[in-house]
Amino acid sequence: MQERFGPSAIRLFAAFVPFGFGLIAAAIANFPVSLSGGILPTPMLAMMPVYFWCLVRPDLMPVWAAFLVGVAEDLLCGGPPGIWGAAFVACYAFVDRERDALAGLAGYGAILGFAAAMLVTGGTAYALVALYFVKLPPVAPLIAGFAVNIFWYIPALWLMNAVQRRVIGPLRSDI
Amino acid sequence: MANGTWRLARGRSNAQIPLAVVGVIAVLLILLGRAQPTLFDHARAYVSDRAAPVLSAVRLPVDAVGRWFSGAENVFALYQENVRLKEENAHLMEWQRTAQALDQRLKRYQLLLNVVPDPEVANITAHVIGRSSRPFLNTTILDAGKRNHVKPGEAVIDERGMIGRIFLAGDHTSWVILLTDLNSRIPVILQPGNIQAIMAGDNSGAPTLDISASGAQLKSGLHVATSGDGALLPAGLPVGTTYWDGTQFRVTLLADAGRSDDVRILDLKTRAEEPPAPTTGDLPVSAAGLAPLAPPPKSQNPTPAPSLRPALPAPVTIPPRPNAAPAPAPAAVPPDVDNQ
Repeated sequence: MQERFGPSAIRLFAAFVPFGFGLIAAAIANFPVSLSGGILPTPMLAMMPVYFWCLVRPDLMPVWAAFLVGVAEDLLCGGPPGIWGAAFVACYAFVDRERDALAGLAGYGAILGFAAAMLVTGGTAYALVALYFVKLPPVAPLIAGFAVNIFWYIPALWLMNAVQRRVIGPLRSDI
Repeated sequence: MANGTWRLARGRSNAQIPLAVVGVIAVLLILLGRAQPTLFDHARAYVSDRAAPVLSAVRLPVDAVGRWFSGAENVFALYQENVRLKEENAHLMEWQRTAQALDQRLKRYQLLLNVVPDPEVANITAHVIGRSSRPFLNTTILDAGKRNHVKPGEAVIDERGMIGRIFLAGDHTSWVILLTDLNSRIPVILQPGNIQAIMAGDNSGAPTLDISASGAQLKSGLHVATSGDGALLPAGLPVGTTYWDGTQFRVTLLADAGRSDDVRILDLKTRAEEPPAPTTGDLPVSAAGLAPLAPPPKSQNPTPAPSLRPALPAPVTIPPRPNAAPAPAPAAVPPDVDNQ
C-alpha cells in the first residue's frame, strides 16, 4: 500500500478515519428517523469516537477534531451553535487529564470510564444550555440519554476496536 | 472491550495550549450564536433540503412497519372498536347539529354587530419526514419549504391541535420547533375566564404556563388555545388543557407530535398593521386643544415665550363605514351594563 499511495497519503487517511468516524456518527445520530418512535432519546454517537480515540490515539483525535465533531453535532441537531462543541472540548480535557486512569480500565470499568466522560460532557452541555436560555432544562431527558448512550457504547466500542485493529493499525504500521 | 489493550500513543499529550485555544473558540462560538441565533440556519436548511429525498425514502419502510404493527394490534379489537366508533359517531352527529346551529346564530350576531371578520388563514398540508429528540431539543422536519410558500413563524397543527411553529424554512423542507421545546414560547388564552398567559416549553412533555395577569385563578381542566396576540399565530387554535403537577400548572397537549404524520401549516394572511407615523396632531398638547410649540428659531434672538392661548382644534370628519347600518338613536346606557 505504501508503494501505491506513499506514506503521507496513508498517514493522512489513517489520521482522517477517527475524525471521519466522528462526523459519520454525528450524521447517523441526527438522522431524523427514530426507530423507537421518539420514546427513547437518540444516542450521542458522535461522542463515542471522540472519547475512544482521544483515549487510545490522541494523535489521531486532536482537540480541534473533537471540537469540529461537536460543531457538526450542533449543526445537524438544530440546537444553539457551539454547545456540543464546547461540551466535547470539556470531554477531551477530562480524558486528557485522566488518561492514565481511564486507559487502564477494562470490561465494565471501560464502560464506567465512558459513563464518567459522558457525565462531564452532558453536565457541561446542561450548564451551557441553562446559561444560554437562562432557564434550567429538565434533567430527566439527560439521564435517559446517559442510559441510552451507555447501552450503545458497548457495540460501538466493539466496532471502534475492530476499526482500530484492522484499519488504522495496519495502515500506521506501513509507515 | 478493554481500553487498555491499546498502547497509548503518548502517555500524556501536550495539548494544553491547543485545548485552551479551542476552548476559547468554543466559548466565542456560543456567544456568537447567542448574538446571532440564525448562524447555522442556512447550513441546516441546505443539509435538510439535500437530505429530504433520503429522509422520505427511509421513512417509507419505517412508516410501513409502524402501520403494520398498529394494524396487527388493532385487528384483535376490531369488533369492540367498531361498536365504540358507532357510538362516538352518533354522539358527534348530535354535536355537529348543535355546532351548525350555533355557527349560524354566531354569523347572524356578527352580521348584526358589524364584527370585523376573522383573518383569512391559508394552509398547506405537509408530511413529517423526520423527528429529532435530543436532550435539549425537540424538532420535526416537514417536506414543505419556501417553494410551497412556507415561512418561519407559521403555526403547525395536526388534526387534534397545535404542535409547534416553523423556525427554519429551506427550499423543500422546514423545521418545526415543537411546543415542548425549550425555545418555544407562545401567547395563549385559558377558557373559561379569558386568562392570558405565555406557554413555555421546557423539553418535558407538558409545557408550563406563565400567567401575565395578576390575581388570575387557575384550576385544572381549563381549555388552552392560542390567543393570537402579536398577530403571528391565528387565534383560537386548540392547544390543550391545564393540570396541576404538584408545583405548577402545566398544559397537557392535545396533539402528539411524536405520532403526527400529516400536518397543516397555517399562513395567517392578516399581519399586524404598523402604527401610522405620529403627526403633530398626536402630540398631547394638540390633543388637549393647545397649539404645538414652534421649532426654535435659528437666529441669535432669544426664544420667545410660547403662547398659552388655546387653539381651536380642527374639525374632525368621521367617514361612514362602508357597510354600516344607520346609527341608532343614542340610548341611555344603564350604569350596570357589563361592557364585556
